[in-house]
Amino acid sequence: MQVAVMTRAARMVFGLMLMIVTAPLCAAEPLTVYTVNYPLQYFAQRIAGEHAKVIFPAPDDVDPAFWVPDRQTVLAYQGADLIMLNGADYAGWVKKVSLPRLRLVDTSVSFRQDLIDVQDTVTHSHGGEAAHSHSGRAFTTWLDFELAVMQARALTEALSRKRPEHRQDFESNFERLRQDLRALDDALSQVLSGLQPPRLFASHPVYQYLARRYQVVVKSMVWEPGILPAEQQWQSLRGFQENFSAELMLWEKPALPQTMQRLRAMGIESVVFDPCANRPGQGDFLDVMRANIANLERVVRTDTAP
Amino acid sequence: MISSVYIAWRYLVFNSGRTLTLVACVSLIAVVPLALEIIVEESKRQLVERAQRTPLLVGTRGSALDLVMNSLYFSDEVPQEMKVAGAQEIAATDLAATIPLYVRFRARGFPVVGTTLDYFDFRGLELQAGTAFVLLGECVIGATVAEQLGLEPGDALLSTPETVFDLAGVYPLKMRVAGVLARTNGADDLAVLVDLKTTWVIQGLIHGHEDVVKSRDSSIIIDRSERNVTANAKLMQYREITEDNAGSFHLHGDEGAYPLTAVIALPHDDKAETLLRGRYLEADNPYQVVRPRDVVDGLMANIFRIRTVLDTVILFVSLATLMALVLVFALSLRLRQREIDTIFKLGCSRSAMAQMLAAEIAIVAMMSAVLVGLAMVVVSRYDQQVVRALVL
Repeated sequence: MQVAVMTRAARMVFGLMLMIVTAPLCAAEPLTVYTVNYPLQYFAQRIAGEHAKVIFPAPDDVDPAFWVPDRQTVLAYQGADLIMLNGADYAGWVKKVSLPRLRLVDTSVSFRQDLIDVQDTVTHSHGGEAAHSHSGRAFTTWLDFELAVMQARALTEALSRKRPEHRQDFESNFERLRQDLRALDDALSQVLSGLQPPRLFASHPVYQYLARRYQVVVKSMVWEPGILPAEQQWQSLRGFQENFSAELMLWEKPALPQTMQRLRAMGIESVVFDPCANRPGQGDFLDVMRANIANLERVVRTDTAP
Repeated sequence: MISSVYIAWRYLVFNSGRTLTLVACVSLIAVVPLALEIIVEESKRQLVERAQRTPLLVGTRGSALDLVMNSLYFSDEVPQEMKVAGAQEIAATDLAATIPLYVRFRARGFPVVGTTLDYFDFRGLELQAGTAFVLLGECVIGATVAEQLGLEPGDALLSTPETVFDLAGVYPLKMRVAGVLARTNGADDLAVLVDLKTTWVIQGLIHGHEDVVKSRDSSIIIDRSERNVTANAKLMQYREITEDNAGSFHLHGDEGAYPLTAVIALPHDDKAETLLRGRYLEADNPYQVVRPRDVVDGLMANIFRIRTVLDTVILFVSLATLMALVLVFALSLRLRQREIDTIFKLGCSRSAMAQMLAAEIAIVAMMSAVLVGLAMVVVSRYDQQVVRALVL
């Protein structure tokens, strides 16, 4: 009888001790992190691992740079532990809504001075005020993989501040991501170093950071992949060709066959280089970037072949 | 005994004027110090608690008291404005987290507090109804504001123009009530909380209007060139922000030059606090760092000094009033001498007479106690408002 009572008491004490020991572990709920584009979601999830649930709530078929979330989605952002911003005026909606500033993380703040300014073509003024334009910045920062590493570093710091107990995990995950991004950086650098002349046309003005990092000159058009360019746009391109000899045009998505055919007739080969701002249909960020580099490599090799 | 009380009661009713005067005098002696105690305690609670929970305030050099009173209790005295760049400077030091404040405008008599959502976390504010503000032009109102103005989520609240005679000035902004705060028994109950940018909309620094680049209205456009469009003052600016026109709102120039009244600085630790305070010691720095606790302690010391004087005055007045009451009783006994003689001749004992007089005093005291109790209920009910009106 006494033995049974003692056994029960010992079990209770053991159970109580187990609860006390495991309580802090149970209490540390995974962080809820929201991002404004897919690359940041990919980086943050890789770095945070199981310690955070990283959410990018935009639908798959929108450009996150110009997407505007609805009220409920903004409320969800407000409830996040951390909100990862791309910076460089990316996702203009962020400035039009109320978000908790102390939970915002501007991942491009460390290279703010290196951001590329883009001027609007038209300024305006009204009342007694001076003329002004709503100028912005080039925002596809992650296409410079060196900047992408710096953004990932900012994510790591923010996560570590929020959960210092997991800093080691975050740091080792970051290191693995950094190696992957450096590999992409080396590969792209190697491919573009073979581009002669080092000039490209771009269907959209989204390759500024890529151009600067890999030392190519890019002339940007505003052509949509799914729309056949108007005759005036073709004329503009011909005009550019007189002073700018480039034999490749980068596209965010595959262009229409007719467009590619006409470009080829003008001596310009089309290459898909998807910035991957939104979730890809297949694979992940690294897969898309590897495919982009492979696309470029194929064309550049063909171009330089004797 | 019961007959003594009855006779005393009839006597007091018959001499109602004298009775009421006595009751009023006795009540006043008790009400004044008790009410003062409640008001002082409430002042202390409101001032000290809030100040203790606010580590540091940064603002433009000037009256530290104005800075603290405006930032913590949203008083009418607006301190000299500082720039957003000042707040960014503090954040850049990485010594403290910052919460900006812009407390300058009012809406139907209540202060409009421009800040960020971090203020809710910092003060531990909870919503009783609705949501936090999401879009520009939305507000979250305190429990007292909602109660007094009869507002609930979805209703509209107009900002009050600073000058009614400035016809060319900024028109009131129609704000949408997004949520109502749960009661805090503090200054936030009386506040209209908005996003910082909404206060800049109220001021006219951020505005929304028709896209002048696309506009073909020749009466609006003065000049149009390839790189510039100039519109005149006829260009209508939106005074209500909706989901449809929210995208057209924009600020002109550098956000760093936009105004704030103060910044709440939350140092990461004691060392960071000391370092931060050290950075603002130079007299040529346009900004100052104050510890609200120190400022409020100084204010409380003044309040307690005034209270001590008041207590002394009340003590002397009470003593004088008590002596006057004793005199009134003594004189009334002398005036009632013939009446008392008649009662003795009717066979009444001295003890019965004493009982009757004691019953009179007891009834007056009880009536005064009831009156004092009622007065205390009223004072306790409105102590926050009284403190806000008299102290803050």
